[in-house]
Amino acid sequence: MVETFTPAVCGSRRRQWLALAGFAAGAVAASALVGVALGAAGARLGTQLAFVAAGLALLAAAREAGFLRLPLPQLRRQVPERWRAELPLPVWSVGYGLGLGAGFLTFQPVATFWVACAAAVALGRPLLAGLCFAAYGAGRAVMAAWPGRGQADATAAVEGLASRRRALLLGNVAALILCAGLLAAAPAVEAAVQIQTLGAGLDPSAAGTVLGRAQMDAGNSSVLLQPDGETPIAVPGGAAPSVDGDLLAYSDAQGVKVIDWRTGDLVAHVDGEVAKPALDWPLLAFVRTDSTYKRLVVADYTDPSSPTEREITHVYRVNDLGRPSLAAGRIAWHRVTAGSSTIYAQALATGRRTVIARSSVAVLANPSITRTRIIWVRQGSRSCGLRMRRGDSRAERRIYGTSGNARLLWTTALTGRTAYVTRWSLSTRSSTLVRVNF
Amino acid sequence: MRRPDELVDGAARALSTRLAGGLTRRSFLGRMGGGMLALTGGAAVAAAVRPDKSEAFHFCGHIWTTGSCPNPMGLPRIDRHGYPLRPGDGRPIDNLGRLVNRQGYAIDAAGKRLLGPDREPLPRAPRTRLCEEWVKERYGHNSHSQGSWYRCCGKQIRKLVDCCSPSTHRINGDASLVGYCWNGNRVFCVMYYDSGLPC
Repeated sequence: MVETFTPAVCGSRRRQWLALAGFAAGAVAASALVGVALGAAGARLGTQLAFVAAGLALLAAAREAGFLRLPLPQLRRQVPERWRAELPLPVWSVGYGLGLGAGFLTFQPVATFWVACAAAVALGRPLLAGLCFAAYGAGRAVMAAWPGRGQADATAAVEGLASRRRALLLGNVAALILCAGLLAAAPAVEAAVQIQTLGAGLDPSAAGTVLGRAQMDAGNSSVLLQPDGETPIAVPGGAAPSVDGDLLAYSDAQGVKVIDWRTGDLVAHVDGEVAKPALDWPLLAFVRTDSTYKRLVVADYTDPSSPTEREITHVYRVNDLGRPSLAAGRIAWHRVTAGSSTIYAQALATGRRTVIARSSVAVLANPSITRTRIIWVRQGSRSCGLRMRRGDSRAERRIYGTSGNARLLWTTALTGRTAYVTRWSLSTRSSTLVRVNF
Repeated sequence: MRRPDELVDGAARALSTRLAGGLTRRSFLGRMGGGMLALTGGAAVAAAVRPDKSEAFHFCGHIWTTGSCPNPMGLPRIDRHGYPLRPGDGRPIDNLGRLVNRQGYAIDAAGKRLLGPDREPLPRAPRTRLCEEWVKERYGHNSHSQGSWYRCCGKQIRKLVDCCSPSTHRINGDASLVGYCWNGNRVFCVMYYDSGLPC
C-alpha cells in the first residue's frame, strides 16, 4: 500500500496527495459507518455487554502475548491491484480506503479490531461508536501517508517499523489490558438507557425492591405499594408516598403519616398544613405551609417520644418549594420563583448547601437524590428532560425526555441506577410511571 | 454465495468498463468534481437559501436579517418591559409558553388555573425577559434592550427592539453590526412590541 501512494517513479506529488486524500476519506467514512452500525446494534440489544467485551479484550491480550493460540476471523485479501490500472485515481483511492477502513475485508494481524467491535456493541451509542471507529480509519490513512514523509525510500520506513514488531505487539497487549479495565469500569459498563412504562400513577418512590406510587381515581387519591414478588398494598386517601424499607410516609387530609406498611401500625404523624413527605428514617422531611411561607422542615425521630424539627429553608407562599428527597444524610429540593428555578442539595450534618442547577429560563424541579447521584426534571417550552448528575461532577446527562407539550414530566424517584418519573398529559391530567435504567 | 470482496470487485470491474467506454479522464473528473461539490458545497448553499431558515422578513416590520431572540413560542413578542407575550393575541405567557394571570399562575383560555396530575393547581414557572435573561443564560452575554425603530403593522404601531450585547457574532452565527446599539454593544437578536396605537 505504501508504494501505491508513494511511487518511486510514477506520478507527481499532486497525484500522490490526491490519492491519499481519497484513501483517507474512504477509510474514515467506512470505519465510521461500521462503528455506527455496531453501536446501533448494541442499542437495540440493550443488554449489558461491557463485561463480555472486557472478557474478549483479556482473551485477545493473552493471544497477543503468546499465551493462547486463537484463530482470528479475517479475509486474507489485499486491495485489488488492477483497480489502479483500470479505474480513475479518485475512484480507486476512495475504494481502497473503503475496503481497508471497513476492517473486516482484509488481513487482521492482531485481535484488537474485533475487541473494538465488541466494545462498540457494548457502548450501544451509534454516534459515539462511529466517532471512535473513525479514528481507526484515520489511523489507516496515517499509515499510508507516514512512510513517504521526507524519505527518499518509503519502504525503508516500513522496514524500520517491522523491525520494532515485538515492541509494537507488547504495546498492543498493554492497550488491550487497559481496554479490558476500562470496559469493566463504570463509564463503559453503562448499558444503553432502557425505558419501560409501569402503568398509571404518579409521585413514585422506590426503596430496594419496593415501588410506591400515588393513584388518582375519580379525583380521589390513594397510595399503592408494590413489593417485588408480594401482593400490592393500597393505602386509601394517601398521596405523595415515600418508602424507606418497611416504613411508608404519605400525606392525607390530616397531615403526614408514617406507618409500617407491613403491619399498618402508625409510627409517626405530623398534623396541620403539611405535605410532600420524604422519608429516610429516623428523618422525615416535609413542606409546611402557613399564611406567608412554605417551609422545608426535617423532623428527627431518633427519640420518637420527642422528635425535633429543623427548618432547612423557606420561600414565600406564592413560590414553589418542591417535594424534597432524603438519602444518605443529604436532602434535595427545588425552589421555583417568577425569576428562576433552582435545584439544591444540602448535607444535613454540616449544613453545607450546593446549587446543583439553576435556570432563569427553564423550570428545574422534583429532584431525587442517592449517595452518588441526583436526578431532576428540566422543563422548557418545547421539551422536558430527566437530567442526572453524578457525585461532585458538574457534568449533566439527559437520560430521558419528551418533546412538545403533550407529555410532560413531573415527580421523580431514584434508586441505584434506576430512575422513575411521572409522565403526564396537560390536557387529560392522566399520568404514567416510567422507569429509566441508565 | 459470493464473498463480499468478490461482490465489490465485480462492481468495480463493471464500473471501470462503463467509464472506459463513455468518458475521457477529463470529463470523468469534471463530473466527479461536480458531484463532490454538490455534496459539500451544495449543502451550504441550500442551507443559506432554504425558506424556513431565512432570517430576514420573518415578522412584520423586520426588514433586516438578524434572527429572533429566543422565546417560548416561536416569535419574540414582548411587553413594554421585555417579558414574553403570546404572539397571536398579546396575552402574557410564562417561559413555558402557558397563559398566565396577574399573579403568574398558569391558566386556561377561560382563566381557570391549570391543574397538575395530582389535581392541584400548577405552581408558577419563571417568566423572564427575553433579552436580559434568556440571551444571557443561553449565550452567556450581558445583553440589554437598546435600539429600536417603528413600523405600522396590522394598523397599529409596532416597536422593533434590538437586543444588544458585546458579542461580535449575532444569533444567526455570523458577524454582528452596531445597528442602533450603543455603549460598545452590537445587535445580537431582535424582538417586537405592539403598542396598540393606530396607524
